[in-house]
Amino acid sequence: MQKSPSRELILSILWRYGLSIILVALAVVLTLLLQMAFSTPFWRSFFFVWVVIGSTWFLGKGPGFTTVVLSTLAVDYYFTPPFGQFSHDPKNLPFVVVFFIFAFVSGFVSSRLKDRETALSKARDELESRVQERTKELEKSNTLLLAEIEERKHAEEILHNQAGLLHLTHDSILVRDKAGLITYWNRGAEELYGWKSGEAVGKVTHELLQTIFPEPLEDIMAQLVRSGHWEGELVHTRRDGTQVVVSSRWAVQKDELGQPASVLETNNDITERKRAEEGIRKLNEELEARVIKRTDELGEVNRELEAFAYSVSHDLRAPLRHLAGYAELLQKSASSDLDEKSVRYVAMILESAKRMGELIDDLLAFSRTSRTEIKKSRVSLDQLVSEISDELSRETDGRDIAWRIGNLPDVSGDRSMLKLVLMNIISNAVKFTRQRQRAEIEIGHAGGEANELVIFVRDNGVGFDMKYAHKLFGVFQRLHRAEEFEGTGIGLAHVQRIIYRHGGRVWAEGASDKGATIYFTLPGPPEGTGHE
Amino acid sequence: MNKLGRILLVEDDPKDVELTLTALAEYNLANEVVLARDGEEALGYLYERGKSGDGPNSYPAVVLLDLKLPKVDGLEVLSRIRSDENMKAIPVVMLTSSREERDVVDSYKLGVNAYVVKPVDFHEFVNAIKELGVFWAIINEPPPGSMKRG
Repeated sequence: MQKSPSRELILSILWRYGLSIILVALAVVLTLLLQMAFSTPFWRSFFFVWVVIGSTWFLGKGPGFTTVVLSTLAVDYYFTPPFGQFSHDPKNLPFVVVFFIFAFVSGFVSSRLKDRETALSKARDELESRVQERTKELEKSNTLLLAEIEERKHAEEILHNQAGLLHLTHDSILVRDKAGLITYWNRGAEELYGWKSGEAVGKVTHELLQTIFPEPLEDIMAQLVRSGHWEGELVHTRRDGTQVVVSSRWAVQKDELGQPASVLETNNDITERKRAEEGIRKLNEELEARVIKRTDELGEVNRELEAFAYSVSHDLRAPLRHLAGYAELLQKSASSDLDEKSVRYVAMILESAKRMGELIDDLLAFSRTSRTEIKKSRVSLDQLVSEISDELSRETDGRDIAWRIGNLPDVSGDRSMLKLVLMNIISNAVKFTRQRQRAEIEIGHAGGEANELVIFVRDNGVGFDMKYAHKLFGVFQRLHRAEEFEGTGIGLAHVQRIIYRHGGRVWAEGASDKGATIYFTLPGPPEGTGHE
Repeated sequence: MNKLGRILLVEDDPKDVELTLTALAEYNLANEVVLARDGEEALGYLYERGKSGDGPNSYPAVVLLDLKLPKVDGLEVLSRIRSDENMKAIPVVMLTSSREERDVVDSYKLGVNAYVVKPVDFHEFVNAIKELGVFWAIINEPPPGSMKRG
């Protein structure tokens, strides 16, 4: 790389010097030709001077000077007598010297002019390139500027659109600066509060809206600075003076120093919701009050019932006892004076008093099963049945009874109450099969509906007409004459009450003289089926 | 009321009184009975006996007490007897028409010695009174301070 410029330089030098030599030679030839045509001495120097000026102008100072020297020599050699040799004649010397000086001056002037011209041209070029450069720069910055303007325009458009969108929403949105002055107020806020944007902007928010805060404003601001946002319920006053409850969300925009610069506040009207909530709360309160009142009333009724039962137990029995007592004393003291009829009357009085005593006792027991609390435990029905058949032995002794007792499950219930249930049903079965040569009593269980256990007691006794099935479980309801079968008629009412209180059902199937089956259910799946 | 009886019968109903005394008469125990017609009278009698200066023979051998009484009821009488330093050893039997579990429980909590429900049937009633009288006035050894059969 370094060789080629120097080689070019050498070639250029050789070329320029060679050319100056050739030019001089050309001037010699032309001058010779002109001399042949016109022998005027003026023409002798004409071409040479132009060659010197031209070579100095175009080829540079070195070749120019070479041309001056060579031309002087050529003028001396060819065109100063004696022609064809260098003249030593002092007579010709001034001409040669004058020529040399003239040629030299011409060359010098030409060279200077050339230098000036080169410098000028260089300066012009520089200027031009700088102008071009500046123009380019200007063009570039112009493009940038245009792009920036375009971008700004676009951003402004987006902002405008967004602001327009904010304006569209029915949520009320407002922005306030750090002094609390409103700087933005959207259409939602106009609709909610009644002030136009122009009226609201510049006002202090909390003064305009008479805000009631749920906590001190300092605390809210502290939280706002700490976490950047706050949420809560505020009460505002509208332009028309009505109050509105809003769910308010605040978001803060901080400046470069991290200090709150402006706050964006979004408020949603929840007055209706609050009113509805309040309504529901009130309704609930009322309902609760009613439940309490009803419970109190029920408790009162229960207490009255208890007082009634107590009174029955105590006060009703006393006159009955007296009735029986005095009848007995009458029977004793006057037995010899009384005729047969009168003795029977006294006996009837005694019997009735006794029966009434039984009825009162049964009624009291029945009311007690409704009032006493159920104490649930795991109860073995097998065990209950075997206890009951032991207790009934006085009535079953001497009778032919075929017991068919299946495996009964354990259930969950009040043991003494469930025993009363089975006692009533089984003693009924024993009682109503009394007229049978061979009584058959079956006790078993079957699966009922889901989560339900069905227990049944079937007998081959006198049965009943299904027509009267609905009367079977009423208090003091009897389907047989008293002289046929004893009893007060409260047993199955008792059964029904207890089973209902356990959450079960009870029903009966039967036909006159064809036996009866009493069914009852208990909730819950059977828990094991083994005998104990 | 200063007569010393070995049985204090507290009963407001005259018919019950008559029937009870009739029953006791069959066993010659009627003369041993002092009658009080309400709780106040019963307590008055007992306090009076305490001040009589009869020493250890101040109190009856048993109190037959009805639950439902005018003025001061049976449970109140019982609790006053049990809370009195001198009287608390006196045997007390509730003789009542009530079979209510609440009454039975309350009586035992207050320290009753026995609880008897008057049967409706007269025979049973007579038997109950007779056995009560015989047991408490004759068989039972009363606490020191009660009148012994002399």
